[in-house]
Amino acid sequence: MVFIVVLIASFLLQMVLPWWIIVPVSFITCCLIGKTPKKSIWEPFLAIFILWTGVALSYSLQNQHILADRVAEMFGLQTWWLILFVTALTGGFIVAISGICGYKFRKTILAKKHVSHSSVNN
Amino acid sequence: MRNKFKAAIYLVIPIMLAYLLNTKFGSVPPILKFLNPFTGFWKNSVAIKQPKKSKLVLRNTKETVEIAFDDRMIPHIFAQNDHDAYYAQGYVTARDRLWQMDFQTRYAAGRLSEVVGVKALELDRYQRRMGMVYGAENSLKGMMENPKSREMIMAYTAGINDYIHSLNAGTLPVEYKILDFKPEDWTPLKCALLLKQMSAVLAMGSDEFYMTNILQKFGSAVTADLFPDYPFREDPIIPVGTKWDFKPLQVPSAPEANAVIQTSQIKTKQLEEGIGSNNWAVSGAKTASGNPILANDPHLNLTLPSIWYQIQLHAPGMNSYGVSLPGAPGIIIGFNEHIAWGVTNVAADVLDFYQVKFKDDTHSQYQYNNGWKNTTSRLEKIKIRGERTETDTVIYTHHGPVVYFKKPENLKMANNVPMGSALRWIAHDRSNELMTFYYLNRGKNYQDYRKALTFYTAPAQNFVFASATDDIAITANGKFPLKWKNQGKFILDGSNPADDWKGWIPAAQNPTVKNPGRNFVSSANQSSTAPDYPYYINWEFAPYERGKRINDRLTSMQNITVDSMRIMQSDSYSIFAENILPALIKAVDPAKLNATQKEALQVMNRWNKSYEADAIAPSIFELWTKRLFFNIWDDDFTIENIPMRYPSRDRTVELILKDPGSKWFDNVRTPEKETLPDLVFEALTYTCDSLERKYGPIGKGWKWANVKGTHVPHLANIPGFGSETLWNGGGKSTINALSESNGPSWRMVVELGKKAPVAKGVYPGGQSGNPGSPFYRDMIGTWTKGELYDLYLMNSPQDERAKVLNHLTIKKK
Repeated sequence: MVFIVVLIASFLLQMVLPWWIIVPVSFITCCLIGKTPKKSIWEPFLAIFILWTGVALSYSLQNQHILADRVAEMFGLQTWWLILFVTALTGGFIVAISGICGYKFRKTILAKKHVSHSSVNN
Repeated sequence: MRNKFKAAIYLVIPIMLAYLLNTKFGSVPPILKFLNPFTGFWKNSVAIKQPKKSKLVLRNTKETVEIAFDDRMIPHIFAQNDHDAYYAQGYVTARDRLWQMDFQTRYAAGRLSEVVGVKALELDRYQRRMGMVYGAENSLKGMMENPKSREMIMAYTAGINDYIHSLNAGTLPVEYKILDFKPEDWTPLKCALLLKQMSAVLAMGSDEFYMTNILQKFGSAVTADLFPDYPFREDPIIPVGTKWDFKPLQVPSAPEANAVIQTSQIKTKQLEEGIGSNNWAVSGAKTASGNPILANDPHLNLTLPSIWYQIQLHAPGMNSYGVSLPGAPGIIIGFNEHIAWGVTNVAADVLDFYQVKFKDDTHSQYQYNNGWKNTTSRLEKIKIRGERTETDTVIYTHHGPVVYFKKPENLKMANNVPMGSALRWIAHDRSNELMTFYYLNRGKNYQDYRKALTFYTAPAQNFVFASATDDIAITANGKFPLKWKNQGKFILDGSNPADDWKGWIPAAQNPTVKNPGRNFVSSANQSSTAPDYPYYINWEFAPYERGKRINDRLTSMQNITVDSMRIMQSDSYSIFAENILPALIKAVDPAKLNATQKEALQVMNRWNKSYEADAIAPSIFELWTKRLFFNIWDDDFTIENIPMRYPSRDRTVELILKDPGSKWFDNVRTPEKETLPDLVFEALTYTCDSLERKYGPIGKGWKWANVKGTHVPHLANIPGFGSETLWNGGGKSTINALSESNGPSWRMVVELGKKAPVAKGVYPGGQSGNPGSPFYRDMIGTWTKGELYDLYLMNSPQDERAKVLNHLTIKKK
C-alpha cells in the first residue's frame, strides 16, 4: 500500500513541486500507514527507484542517452545507465530514510500516548 | 521528554537530508536537485525526433515571423520588419545559447563570484579594474543614440527576455543546474559587455610594461636592436607600393625621453603566439568561374558551446547569412547576394599605460601639466556567493582607471599591468560597432562597405570585402589614435600632456586597398602597411609567415574555385620552418648524436615542412625551436623581479641567419662561452629526451596530432561536456593555425556573382548549446577533416535548396 501511495503521490506532486516533496510524501505515508519498519524502508525505496528510473528513461531513451552519457562522464562514470542507477538509488535512499523516520515518529508518538495513558490508569 | 526528543530527531533527519541533497557544496552540484528526473538534468535530454512544424505565440512581435531550421538546426529567420528580425534572433539565440550568453557577459562584467563564489573574486576585480563595465556603459550610450542600433538592441533584448520568461525549473539549460543559479533578465548593457569582451580578447595585448623594463635594463641601443620597429621579413596587408591618396594630418611630435621607473615582484612569462586569423578575397580574374571568391577563418580560443552562432536574417531590405555572436544582434561575418565580408584582428596599439604621480596616499590628486588634477572614484560592488558583498574602489584619472596599486595574487593575466599606472584603452570610449554590421548586412556594393566601416571603433579588424560586381578590398579598420611614432611602446608619462592621445586617424585614411594589381587582397594579422604609411599604428604585429604563405599561394594560383580555397584554409606548410630549418640542421654535428637524435635529424632532413597530423617531424621541430629560443633568451630576459619578454621570432630568426656569432648566444649564467651550435645541440637533445620520456621511442607516439592534442573544451571546463582529443594537423605559424585549443573558430568561403552566392562554412561545434542535443558538437568531425558544409541563403521559408527539419511560426496572437 505504501508503495502505491508514494509512487502515485510523488509522481503527481513532482509535476508542480520541487523534487524534495518526495521526502514528506514518504514520511507522511509511512507515518500514517507504514505497517512494519522493513516495509517503511523498502516500499518507498522501490516506489521512487522505479518511478525515477521510469521517468528518467522516458526522457533519455528519446535522446539516445547523449546527455546521460556526458553527465556520467562528468561524474567519472563509464556509461549512462550508471548515472541512472545512481539517480534512482539516491532518490530511493532518501525516501527510505524518510519512510523509516515517519514510521518511527508514529511509534514514538504512540508510545508516548500509551505511556501517558497508562500513567493516568495507575 | 525523551520520546519528544526522539520524535523530533525522526522529523529532523529527513529534513536535513533533503537540505543536504538540495545544496551545492564546492564544485559539486546539488545532488538530487540535479539528478531528479522531474526538474534535474534528465529533463534536458531533448528528443532527437522533432516535429516538422511548430507554433509559438509571442505578443512582442509586430507581425508573423517564420523560421526554418535546416538540417544542422541553423535558423533562417523570415520577418516582415527589422524589429521582428532582431527580436526573433534574440529569441532563438537564447533558446540555443542562453547559458553561454549569460556566463560570457557575467565574465565580462566581473560578476562570476556571484554565481561560482569567492574563487572568481580576483578575476572579477581584474575585469572591473580594467574598466570593462565602465567601457560597456560608455559604448551603450553610443548604441542607444542611434535610432537604428537602438531598435536592434531593444528588439534583440526583448526576444531574449521572452525566452527567459518561458523557462521553469525543469527547462533551464543544464549548466544552470550544475552551477545552481538562475538566469536574470537580459539588458542592453549585456550586449555592450559582450562586445567589450571581444575587445578584451583581441585588443588587450600590452607589452609596454615589459618593454619599459627592457629599456631600463639594457638601454636604448640594445632595445632598438632586439625590438625593431619593423620586422626583418614582412609581407604587409596593404601591398608594398600602394599609394596613399590623402593628405595626412599633422602627427604630434614626440616629447623628450620619458624617465619612468618601475618596480615589481613578478616573474616573466614567455610570450605565447596568440590568435591568428586569415582572410582573403580573389577577384574574378583569378577564378575558374570569373566570379570573386572570399574566404575567412577567424582564430580564437575554441570552446563548446561554439563562440559563433550561424543564422540567416531576412527582412525587407536585408537578406544576410553568416555567424553572429550570441549576445549581439546582427551578423558579424557573412554575406548576402551582393557582398561578402570577413575579419581578422589588427594588432593596433590602442591600449596604453600612463605612470601616475599621486600627491599623497589618498590618491585624490595627481600631477598633470605642472599642477594637480583631481581623480574620481568608481565603486565596484562585487557580490560573492555565500559571502558578504565586496566594494572595490577604483581610482580614475582623465586617462582612465588606475588598474592596480598592488599586484594581485595568482592572476596570470594581470602580469603585464604596471602598478600605479592608469589605463588608456580604446574600449573605454563611446562607440557603436553595431551600425557597422547593420550596414554590412544590408550592403550592396563597395560604397556601402566603406560607409559601414566608418562606424567601427574596436577591436580593430582587417575587414576583407568582395562584391558580386567583382570589387575586392581590404581595410585595416578601427578608431586609431593619432600618435607619434612608438607612442605607447613604453609606459607613458601621465603628468605630461604631450603624452596624451591627440585625436584620431580619420576613418577614410585607415590603411585600405581596392582592386590591387595582383588581383587578390589578404591578411593574417601581420603589419598593416609598409613603413611608408604616414601614421603609427603599432611597432609590432603578428609574425609574417602565415601572410607570406597566403600571398605566395594566391600569387601562383589560377582558376581558383571554392574548393581550392577550402583546401588552402587547411594548408599547414610552415614558412618559418622553410626559413630556419636549413640553418639548424647545418649547426648540428652528426658525430655527436646518439641513435634517436640521428634518426630525428634524418626526419628533419626529409620533412616537407607541413604540419601534418601523422608526421613526427612537426613535433620535433616545434619543441626544438621552442627550446632553442629559450636557450638563446632566457638567461638575458628572465630576471627575478623584472618582468620582460623575449625578442620576436622574426628578430631571432634574423639573428640566427645573419649573425651566427652574436653575443646573445652565450649563456651569461655559465662561465664558458656558448655558441649557436651548442644551443642547437642542447635543444635537440632536450627535445628527443622529453619526447621519449612522454611518448616512448621515436615513432608512432611522436605523431604531431598526438603531441599537439587538439580538443575543444567546455566554456566552464565541465568534464564530459568538451570534445575528445582530435586528430588534426596545423600549427601556429601555418595558415591552419591550430594549436591545442586555439584555432579556426569559423571557416567560410563565398563565391559571389550574377547567380545566387555559393557559400560554404563550418565551425568546431554545433548550433545548440545543450550538451544533450545531437546538434551540440555535430560539426566537429567535418571541421577536423577540413571540409565545409553548404550554407543556404534561402529566398523563402519554403526554399527547397535547404533541407528543412523544422518550421517554426511565431504569431502575435
